Amino acid sequence: MKALVVDDSGVMRRIVIGALAKADITDVVQAGDGQEAVAAVVEHDFDLVLMDWNMPNLKGIDAVREIRAMGCKMPIIMVTTEAEKSRVLEAIKAGANNYVIKPFEPQMLIDKVTDTLARASA
Amino acid sequence: MSSSTTAGAAARTMRVEYINPFIESVNELFQTMLSSKAKRGDVTLTSKGSETLSLVAIIGLSGPARGTVALSFPVNTVFNIVGRLLGDEPTEVTEDVTDTVAEMANIIAGGAKARLINSDTPAIDLGLPTVVAGADYQVMHPSQAAWLEIPFTSDLGNFVLRVTFEFEKQ
Repeated sequence: MKALVVDDSGVMRRIVIGALAKADITDVVQAGDGQEAVAAVVEHDFDLVLMDWNMPNLKGIDAVREIRAMGCKMPIIMVTTEAEKSRVLEAIKAGANNYVIKPFEPQMLIDKVTDTLARASA
Repeated sequence: MSSSTTAGAAARTMRVEYINPFIESVNELFQTMLSSKAKRGDVTLTSKGSETLSLVAIIGLSGPARGTVALSFPVNTVFNIVGRLLGDEPTEVTEDVTDTVAEMANIIAGGAKARLINSDTPAIDLGLPTVVAGADYQVMHPSQAAWLEIPFTSDLGNFVLRVTFEFEKQ
């Protein structure tokens, strides 16, 4: 299981990576913006992507669109402060599979990851 | 409360009830990610964001509402917060410290903006946070709008939240 964690906050990436470790996901690549995320997807074969929304260079929502346009099918979970219903719908329309709103308890993120991976493999 | 309040002749309207979503957002952040509780002091209205604390994260709002959110901390408060988040408490202002301040402002502004609008209203856009480290400076807003200022205390230390914005249609 290989995951990509995308967030312009290094502290938030570490928090997300810590939560993933509790779900036994330890093979993790980090990206600091949407451009780095798209480049990482080109370079690696990921089973899961966790994507922030507001980032420099390329927003997470646009990175999701690019990743889907490349034909990649891995589950993508948005992990973002964007809490409006319209944003959630926009993310789902762009190709995100699930949505976590910051702030979150680590266990809640783990549950979303587990649920998303189970749905993807069903 | 439905009335508007102003500070000074140059200040534009800034409704006091707009502050509640920000207070709720601070409380949610402290409870959810810091296992702490932030206790707010009295809300005051100022015409400028006078700053004596050492670290401030500033984030802009645009779209249906335009304005600024500023979150100010003494460095020791941020050291305690970083220690609670990551396990290792810093002793100097590192990238982790400024990053934490920026992300907290992002989370508080993000949570508040969702609470400020109806579900059928277009989302308010968040800018990327800017962090300033230093002392004795002022955070000015181009529109000269009034700032609502809320001091908080917590077991991690004190901090101050300042907010100024206005909706496009009032």
